[in-house]
Amino acid sequence: MICCKECLELLHDYIDGALSKEVEKSLEEHFQDCPPCISFLNTYKAASNACRKTLTQTEVPEEVAASLKSFIEKNIKNSS
Amino acid sequence: MTTDQKAEEEILARKLIEGDIEAFDRFVEIYQKKIYALAYNLTHNQMDAQDVTQEVFLTIFRKAHTFQGKSAFSSWVYRVALNAVYMKLRSKKKDQSISVEDAFPSFNGAGYHQEVIRDWSESAESLMFSNETKSVIQSAVDQLPEKEKIAFILRDVEGLSTEEAAEALELTISAVKSRLHRARLILRKKLSGYFEGKQIPGVAK
Repeated sequence: MICCKECLELLHDYIDGALSKEVEKSLEEHFQDCPPCISFLNTYKAASNACRKTLTQTEVPEEVAASLKSFIEKNIKNSS
Repeated sequence: MTTDQKAEEEILARKLIEGDIEAFDRFVEIYQKKIYALAYNLTHNQMDAQDVTQEVFLTIFRKAHTFQGKSAFSSWVYRVALNAVYMKLRSKKKDQSISVEDAFPSFNGAGYHQEVIRDWSESAESLMFSNETKSVIQSAVDQLPEKEKIAFILRDVEGLSTEEAAEALELTISAVKSRLHRARLILRKKLSGYFEGKQIPGVAK
């Protein structure tokens, strides 16, 4: 059976679904008997999800959008 | 990216190369938010992000003809944007307080976890929208080492595939994977301290 340290090295490809069936099966067998690895997997995914949800809320503020628009008018459209 | 999006991008790239000004409007429509968000998430500064976005618009407009089609057009745009971000960041180097080694869990001689691993994933889910959580998360990302931060933002925030990120960064696929893995480990470690202290009674494991 694979150990926790080996599981850690496989996590990235496991989440991407990029492991071979055989390796994936041995990883999942390890998870069944190893609550710490399950917690680690859950929090590894949760950390990434939490960051994604927070950072994808970044919008272009209205004043920036207005500045960019006049920048384009002045420096790109009028120069072409 | 879907096949339709890819086809649209190819047409857009061709028109930009020809200097088509209407194509530039479409380019701004598709990319303004992406470039601004990327720059903002890496610099945490509205003025810097605006400067970077302007710089990218100019470069794309003036240098579209140098795009050789060796990589996807979007990867080229991200590469131009990252170069503009690097220029900004170079003048504002910051301390990076967590080392990559610290983010790895400790194992015993047989390779099994040595410390207790608490599962705070459910409390993270329920606390997602508080302002305190947002600012903790933003500062955790901000403190990532630069290489890991960029890989993380391209893959997990902007949603590029490993291949697209590798093209944008001019790195091998395995280098992107290992940077992303390290970034996720560091973020997990940083956020563990915060979320473990916020465990909801009854949900704590």
